[in-house]
Amino acid sequence: MDGIEKSFPGVKALKGVRLTLHAGEVLAVVGENGAGKSTLIKTLAGVHRPDAGTMMLDGQPVSFASPHEAQQAGIAVIYQEFNLVPALSARENIFLGHERARFGVPDRRAERAEAQRLFERMKVQIDPDAPVRSLSVAQQQVVEIAKALSLGARLLVMDEPTATLTPGEVDRLLAIIRDLQRDGIGIIYISHRLEEVFAVADRVMVMRDGEHIDTLPRQGLDRERLIEMMVGRSLEQEFPKARHAIGAPRLEVRGLTRRGVVEDVSLTLRRGEVLGLTGLVGAGRTELARLLFGADPADAGEIRLDGRPLALRSPRDAIAAGISLLTEDRKAQGLVLMLSARENFALPNLSHWSRRGFIRQQVERARFAHYIESLKIKLSHQDQTVRNLSGGNQQKVLIARWLEANADVVIFDEPTRGIDVGAKYEIYLLINELAAAGKAILMISSELPEVLGMSDRILVMHEGRISGEITDVAHATQEQILALAVGREDKAEKVEG
Amino acid sequence: MLPRLSSPPNRTRIQQAVSQFFSNYGMLLVLLLLCTYYAVVTLEEQNPRGADAAEALLDDLTARVPAGGTVLIATKANEEDRVFAAALAEGLRAAGYTPAGPVEGTPQDLRQALEAVAAQGRPIAAIATTRDNAAIVRNLQRQVTSLAETPVLTPASYRWPTFLRADNIRNVANQIVVIAIIAVGMTMVIITAGIDLSVGSLIALSAVVAAYLIQAMGGTEAGTGAMLLASAAAILLCGLVGLFSGFVITRFRVPPFIATLGVMQIASGLAYIISEGKSISAIPDGYVWLGRGADLFSLPNAVVLMILIYAGAHVLMTRTTLGRYIYAVGGNEEAARLSGIRVHAVLVFVYVVAGLLAGLGGIVQASQLKSGAPTYGLMYELYVIAAVVIGGTSLFGGEGKILGTLIGAFIIAVIQNGMNLTGVESYTQKVVLGFVILGAVLLDMLKKRGLR
Amino acid sequence: MPTFASRGILLLLPFLLLACGGSGGDRPAATTDRPVIGVSVLTLTHAFFQDLTAALEAEADAHGFDVVITACEFDIARQKNQVSDFVVRQVDAIVLAPCDSRAIGTSILEANAAGIPVFTTDIAALSEGIDVVTHVATDNYEGGRLAARAILDAIGGSGQIAIIDHPEVESVIMRTNGFFDELEARSAPVEVVARLPGGGVKDRAFRVAEDILQAHPDLDAIFAINDDTALGAVAAIEKAGRAGTVRVVGFDGTLEARRAIRDGQIFADVIQHPDRIGRETVQAIVRYMNGEPVEDEILIAPSLYTQQDALADPLLQESE
Repeated sequence: MDGIEKSFPGVKALKGVRLTLHAGEVLAVVGENGAGKSTLIKTLAGVHRPDAGTMMLDGQPVSFASPHEAQQAGIAVIYQEFNLVPALSARENIFLGHERARFGVPDRRAERAEAQRLFERMKVQIDPDAPVRSLSVAQQQVVEIAKALSLGARLLVMDEPTATLTPGEVDRLLAIIRDLQRDGIGIIYISHRLEEVFAVADRVMVMRDGEHIDTLPRQGLDRERLIEMMVGRSLEQEFPKARHAIGAPRLEVRGLTRRGVVEDVSLTLRRGEVLGLTGLVGAGRTELARLLFGADPADAGEIRLDGRPLALRSPRDAIAAGISLLTEDRKAQGLVLMLSARENFALPNLSHWSRRGFIRQQVERARFAHYIESLKIKLSHQDQTVRNLSGGNQQKVLIARWLEANADVVIFDEPTRGIDVGAKYEIYLLINELAAAGKAILMISSELPEVLGMSDRILVMHEGRISGEITDVAHATQEQILALAVGREDKAEKVEG
Repeated sequence: MLPRLSSPPNRTRIQQAVSQFFSNYGMLLVLLLLCTYYAVVTLEEQNPRGADAAEALLDDLTARVPAGGTVLIATKANEEDRVFAAALAEGLRAAGYTPAGPVEGTPQDLRQALEAVAAQGRPIAAIATTRDNAAIVRNLQRQVTSLAETPVLTPASYRWPTFLRADNIRNVANQIVVIAIIAVGMTMVIITAGIDLSVGSLIALSAVVAAYLIQAMGGTEAGTGAMLLASAAAILLCGLVGLFSGFVITRFRVPPFIATLGVMQIASGLAYIISEGKSISAIPDGYVWLGRGADLFSLPNAVVLMILIYAGAHVLMTRTTLGRYIYAVGGNEEAARLSGIRVHAVLVFVYVVAGLLAGLGGIVQASQLKSGAPTYGLMYELYVIAAVVIGGTSLFGGEGKILGTLIGAFIIAVIQNGMNLTGVESYTQKVVLGFVILGAVLLDMLKKRGLR
Repeated sequence: MPTFASRGILLLLPFLLLACGGSGGDRPAATTDRPVIGVSVLTLTHAFFQDLTAALEAEADAHGFDVVITACEFDIARQKNQVSDFVVRQVDAIVLAPCDSRAIGTSILEANAAGIPVFTTDIAALSEGIDVVTHVATDNYEGGRLAARAILDAIGGSGQIAIIDHPEVESVIMRTNGFFDELEARSAPVEVVARLPGGGVKDRAFRVAEDILQAHPDLDAIFAINDDTALGAVAAIEKAGRAGTVRVVGFDGTLEARRAIRDGQIFADVIQHPDRIGRETVQAIVRYMNGEPVEDEILIAPSLYTQQDALADPLLQESE
């Protein structure tokens, strides 16, 4: 691809992007949200047509009028949202649209054998006849890759493939990618997670504001330099952890249980402390957070706040008690997308500036203006629909919401998921500030560097239970956490500080 | 995490405000255009009435009838014609004529009056009447030989859109008032991503219960207190029915469509049981005050009530915490709950409001018709939903404006009234209304696509 | 910036306006000098009212009137609106077949106040204090008595009978009154085992009849208060396999019912003469306009229509 340009009404999304990919090469494309990565992929995949520039495949100029044509040419894209039919089996999904048919009837046996072969090639065990619905996210991804391979793809584009995978699954995916690479398949790998980029890429391409900044070989490239190129300025460090005095216990949990998801969890959260909570997807972290917030009823156990027992029947009770929860899924559980940023910010806080049920809008605007300033929320005006904000700014609106609620205990569930590097950094600073102000913070995260970089103490969950605690964070490693996360307590050493 | 490519950063505030206005009240434009359209096509000859008519006729009359002659005034029996006759008689006297009569009433009354005048043998120089009555008078004079040649004079007509006549505008407002009042509650329900199919049946239930109670408390002799009590009880009952719907929906998680479909049948059945399938009309004349009276600047009382309800609901939805909660619950129930909003209480509230307003609508209907019957409100839920949808409220919840619904209701009323005035038959009216609803939904979708 | 929304509105407008104007071409203009009669009947889906309005229109035209015909289709509020619109248009006379005999009262008062004469056809208005020039209708009470005689004929003087009723309508109340009075007058040994409302429409009557047949295995006859009800009952009887054992007497004499009578499905009909009602109504209006006296009620006698009549009916021969 050379000099690719693409404009949308009002914006130029791609400006002269240049991209070269050799067979058997992994090219990582990195950049902040809005850098133009997705547009680039869609142009490659034939979803968008470039306004200018040329594309060459094996030395021949090509242009794709539709995703189908791109597919025919051997380009396959695996989007974040999979294109699978949940009710159909893995085999049926793989061969959907190009069934191995004999006399017009799909030849199940041939299909099953081929699916089996594809899975073996990737060293995974999946029952070809299992409905996709019943597969894990990682398995579904493998099905997507198998589908691409069955179409004879020579160029595989993967958009944030690891966003919802657990650390173990990420390792397996990276192994698959290396295998495919050895088979001569070119791979474009798009990810926010720089450690993966360093682990798998041959070359790294950096994009910013629709422009091609640079493409560099991985060797000799360091993390700080890469981040600087992505955000266009230098960051002192990725995790600006600040240490301060940790005070008295604020939230004490004893034997908290919700059958099937959270089993007998006890923990203590102190003033000024950032307690990291991690574990594999499905370990019960989010479920624990929901119990602490009163969003789901607990079957057993006790929650104490400043020594007094709390009965949480609803999030309303939790908010009244000074607990807040920044949910993992912003769009499904945090934001009301069609309302304005200001209205979203105000939702749990209306009582702060209403009298006899009437909202005093000037006060509301003033309060929100304060947070727009202090959190550097980027929006055109307060009434902008929150749907139209970037992920980072949406997250900041939600943080502003809970800051205004003035909670003493703040639970962050995946606070930086889907957020670009620059905004991540600001959120870390904010977490520090809150801790410095004496708030107790529970930070749930799947990103181990983040957990290690930001926590004062780390709890690891496995199958609904706390499987380990790490108090000497400074000397802990990802491997230790992983060991606890997969439940190998026997092998994991409990690191005492 | 996809970049929002189509929200261009270079849009100015003004452009944004304009497009905001369009997206909020674009339907207002449609309403105005409809009104303009019907004003143009109903531009026709109008018959002047009352004192204006007398004035218009006097000039013409003095020019054509020699001074001092006797002019017989003959009109229909109604208030405006009486004013016309009195003003004309006075004017004639002042101009030196001798007014005779005035005679008024049915053709039979007029005929007798003409015959009596003829029998007296007085020479009549001219007969003055209104344009409405001219055909009858000309017909009658042919049958009274001595008056057969007497000129019949009427005020000159003027051109004006029938659609824009004050009484027609009042008609439009009166005809939509029941649907418009109920649509307020429906807007709130739909903003919570629900639906209430029971409102039509509640009109019948409320009207029947009110009529039944008034009948029980003295029938046509019932006092004002009894009427108020009966109406309040009927409205409250409908509120309770709404409470029941809300309870079923929140407690047992029955989809609103199904829950209110059931309640719709229940309410309708109750209305039939209470009334034994007949209409109850033993109601004092005073009961029509709400539906037919006009005490404030000749605005119908029901329309005043409607305006008050819209004003109140608009304030509720835009200025209060409860209004904000209603939008939030409809936009994202889980996010609302996790923000500490009592989601179930909010949902129950909107169904209670919908029930109360449907009950009030039933009272207005009963007042307009001075009776209560279980057949009232048939299919009204569909008109109400149509008004809400045309008004721009999204059936998916979270979005909508109370004032948009008022516009939607008026669009329906104007189209129906306009088609009645232009003589479009009722089957065609249905087809047109159907297209209007589809058009509104289509517009809504275009709007969404355009703004994203 | 022209948003999609504004563009959408502009695109839709011509279409909307076209639609709203409808068949504006044939509107009976209030501007002509011919006097206008505004008509609002219960429904135009019944053959009865179709015949009535057709005859009314023809007769009115012959006398130099224009006619605007509307129907409320069982919605009294809609009828109220139609009358309001007639008042605004200042029609010269209003003819009503009320959807609700009592609730129509306030609308008639509105017309009275505007000095517009009101005539009712088929269904009377029963509110107090209203001024109706005259009521033109079938003598329904007499019709009910005729029906009772026909039923006694059909079942041989004794047995079980059921009535599918529609008590919301005054004319039907008259029919059933006449029916019961005649049975009583003859002290006939019959038992009325069921009396259920069928809404006067075919599908509901069908369901009601099915239930009645289910509950009363010894039923001999059904009195259906109009022809749609009768045809619904016939369908239910045939479905239950009891044709020939359960007889039906209907009311109205629509074409479809006449065919059913010829084919022996309905035993007999009390036939009304909607065309005569329509014509008599216009004649009453003409007399009124001429200042002649008009009687308070003009009753059109119904007659009984049996298979013999059907076999000789020219209407049926022409239509086949």
